[in-house]
Amino acid sequence: MSTVLINGIGGALGAQVARQISTHDEVTVLGLARCEPPAPVGRAEWLVAHLNGVQLTELLRAEHVDTLIHLDFAGADAPAGGREAAVQQNVIGTMEILGACAAAGVSHVVVRSHIGIYGANPKNPTILNESRPAARSGLSGLLRDLAEVEHFLAEFVLKHPELSVTILRFAPIVGGWSPLIEYFAQPSPRTIMGFDPSIQVLHIDDAVDAIVRAALSPCAGAFNFAADDAVCISQAIRLSGQQPASTFESMIGLSASVGDRTKLRPWPFDLSFLRHSCIVDTRRAKDVLGWSPLHRAVDSIRTARQNGRVSDDPAISEAAMRAFLSRKG
Amino acid sequence: MPDSIEIEISDPPAEVASPPAKVASPPAEVASPKPRRAARAKRVAEPTPESVSAPKPRVGKPHTDAPAEDGDGHPTPSHVDTFAEDVDVRITGAGVPNLTPAAAYWDVHPSDSMHEVELEVRNNTSQQPSQATVMGNVAAGLIDLIGENMRRMTEEQVGKAREMLSGTDLNDYLDPGFWRGIGMVLQYQVQEQVDFIKRRLRGEYEVDPYGMDVEMIEVVRPFLAFMYRTWWRVESHGLEHVPAEGRALLVSNHSGVLPWDGAMIATAVSADHPVRPDRIVRSLHLHWFSTLPFVAPALAATGQVPGLPENAVRLLGNDELVCVFPEGLKGVGKLYKDRYKLARFGRGGFVQAALRARAPIVPVAVVGAEEIYPMFYNAESFAKLLGFPYFPLTPFFPWLGMLGTIPLPTRWSITFCPPISTEEYGPRAADDPLTVLALAERVRDTIQETIDLRLAERTSLF
Repeated sequence: MSTVLINGIGGALGAQVARQISTHDEVTVLGLARCEPPAPVGRAEWLVAHLNGVQLTELLRAEHVDTLIHLDFAGADAPAGGREAAVQQNVIGTMEILGACAAAGVSHVVVRSHIGIYGANPKNPTILNESRPAARSGLSGLLRDLAEVEHFLAEFVLKHPELSVTILRFAPIVGGWSPLIEYFAQPSPRTIMGFDPSIQVLHIDDAVDAIVRAALSPCAGAFNFAADDAVCISQAIRLSGQQPASTFESMIGLSASVGDRTKLRPWPFDLSFLRHSCIVDTRRAKDVLGWSPLHRAVDSIRTARQNGRVSDDPAISEAAMRAFLSRKG
Repeated sequence: MPDSIEIEISDPPAEVASPPAKVASPPAEVASPKPRRAARAKRVAEPTPESVSAPKPRVGKPHTDAPAEDGDGHPTPSHVDTFAEDVDVRITGAGVPNLTPAAAYWDVHPSDSMHEVELEVRNNTSQQPSQATVMGNVAAGLIDLIGENMRRMTEEQVGKAREMLSGTDLNDYLDPGFWRGIGMVLQYQVQEQVDFIKRRLRGEYEVDPYGMDVEMIEVVRPFLAFMYRTWWRVESHGLEHVPAEGRALLVSNHSGVLPWDGAMIATAVSADHPVRPDRIVRSLHLHWFSTLPFVAPALAATGQVPGLPENAVRLLGNDELVCVFPEGLKGVGKLYKDRYKLARFGRGGFVQAALRARAPIVPVAVVGAEEIYPMFYNAESFAKLLGFPYFPLTPFFPWLGMLGTIPLPTRWSITFCPPISTEEYGPRAADDPLTVLALAERVRDTIQETIDLRLAERTSLF
C-alpha cells in the first residue's frame, strides 16, 4: 500500500495521471491543485490550495505520502500569467516542494521537465542523451525556469541521497494546451528564414504513461521522452493546418520585444529553437522504464489540428464510424 | 529486335558482318562524314524496343543505361576509328516517323528521347576540334540532366518543357539559342521541383532525427550526377573497399573551399558502388555550417550531420556509412600553393569514433578538388568580420560575384583504399592516445601516398 500525491492535478496532464494511477488498486491517490481538475480524476481525493513549505510538510506527514509527482509549472499546461509569478511558482515553488519532501520523509519525487533544457545549440550533439547537463544560457521563459530547477535538483540529489528524484524531460506535449500548440494556433507561425530544424513532440497519452511508470517503479535520474519520429518545423506547421511564415530573424526579434514582455512567450521560448534542432535519445526510458510511445509525431500533430472540429468529409466520418464499430473485434 | 531492322550498307560491303551489333550497342563514336544521320539511326535502333513499350526502370544508377559512355562517364575516343567509314544505317521495320530535330525527340518517353539527344551530341562532339568537344560534353551532360529530371515530372510539365524547347535545335550546341533553351528548361525544372517538394511538404514526407530527407536526396542526385560525370568527369577507384552494408568510416582529404568533395564521394558510392548503389553516405561537416541560413537545412536534408564525435559514434552505431574530413577547415581553406599537402589530422577524433564503434576505416584520396577554386589568398580579417572561417580570394571570386562560385571543371579521381580494421584494438583503445595517434598517422600516410600516386599519373588538370 503506497500513497501518491499529485501536485498539479488541476491540469489536463495531472488529471489523466490521477485517473491512470487510480486503476492500480494498491495505490492511494491524492491531489493538490490551484484550480479544480478539468477532467475526472478516478479515485483521487484532492484539495484546491496554495500551500507553503511548512503546510505542505504537514500534509505529506499526515497522509504518509511515499511518492510526490510534481507537474505544476506555470506556462506548461495553461497560459501563464506574469513572469514574476511564474518564476515564483516554478523555481521557488519547486524548491519548497523538494524541501518539504525531504523534511516529511517522502521517498520518491517525480518532477516533470522539458527536453528544451538542453538548449538548441549547434555545438550540442544532434541527438542528446540524459548525461547532457541543462544549458546555462540561451533559454528563456518556462525553459529557463526548468533549467534552473534542474540545476537545483542536481545539487539537491547529492545532498539528499535518501530521496530518489526522477526527472522526466518531455518533448513538447501534443493534446490539450501546450506552448507548442499555442504556437501552431497563431495565424501564421513564424519561422526563421533559411532554417528548418527538426523537432520532436510527445502525445499526452504517452506522457501520462511515462509519469505513471516513473511514479510506480523505483527509479531515479533523468529520462527523455519523445515520439519515435521527428518532423521539421515547417512540416509540423503544415501538418497542423497552417502555413509557416518564414521571416527575417531580426524582424521576429523586433515583434517579440514589442509585445508584452512581462508575459511568458509561447513556444519556441527562445529563437534558437527555430534555428537549431534539439532532439533527444529516448533509449534510457525504454530500457529502464519499459516505456514506449504509442503515438507517432506526425499523427498526433495531425489529430491536434482536428481537435474540436469535425471534418465534413463523409469518407473520414465513415472511416471513424467503422473504426468505432470494430473496436471490440 | 534485329528482325525489325533493315540495314542498308551502301559502302563498303566488307563491313556488313559486324556493324549491326555494334551500332545497336553504341559505345560508339562513329567517325562518319554524316555523323548526324548515323547517330539518329542509332537513336531509333537502340531504344525502340525497350523504351517505347516499357520505360526503363529507374534504379539509383543513372548511367547504367547510357551506352555512349565507358565506365568513367566520358566517351572513349579509342573507339572512334573502329567502325566503317560511312556506314549508312536506315531503319524501316519499326515504322520510324520522319524525324525533324526537336519535335521528334518526344515521340518515345521524353526522358529517353532526351537521352538519345545526349548520345547524338556526344557522337557529334568527337568530330569537332577539342575546344568544341568540351562544350559538346557539357551540352550532352546538361541534356542528360534535363532527361533525368523529366523522369519525375508529370505529363503536363513535360509538355511545357517541350514547348520551351520547341524552337531549339538540340543538336546545335554551338548556337547560342541552344544554351538559352537549355537554360530556360533547367530553370523551369528547378522551379517545378521546388513545387514538388512543397507539395510533399504538406506533411507527407519523413525526416530522420538528423533532418535527412530521402526525397530531397533523390531530387539533388541528378544534379550531383551531372557534376560527377560531366563537370568533373570523376574516375573512382576501389569502390569495392566500401562495404555494401554495415558501418564504416570513410576518411578523406579535404579541399576546394566549398565541400564539393564530400558530395562527390557520396555520389561515387551512390552511383558506382558495385554491390549496393543506393547507399547513402553521411558526411560530417563543420558544425559552423549549421549556423548558416539555407545552408544548414540543405545539409541536413541531404543527410549531412554536424561533425561532433557523439554524432559520428551514434551514426556508426546505426551501421551507417560515415565520411569525415579530419583536416577540417585547415583542408578546405587551403591555399592553392599548398595543394595536395595534407594538413594536420586534428587530434585523431575520427580514430576514436571508429574505435568506439569498432568500425573499419577506409582512407579516401580525392584528387582534382584542390583546383576547383584556386584560392591564392585568404582574407582573414574580412572573414572575421563576416564570421566566416575563411574568405577565399580566387581569380574569379569575389570579382565575378556569384559567377565566381562556379567551380572550375577539373578532372577528378577518387580512390578508396583498402579498409583498416579497428576490431583488434577493442573500444578501450579509444582512450589510449598512442594507439589513436598512430592510427591517425597511418591513415594520413595512406591518403598522402595515394594522392601522390594519382598526381603522378595525372597528365592534365582538365
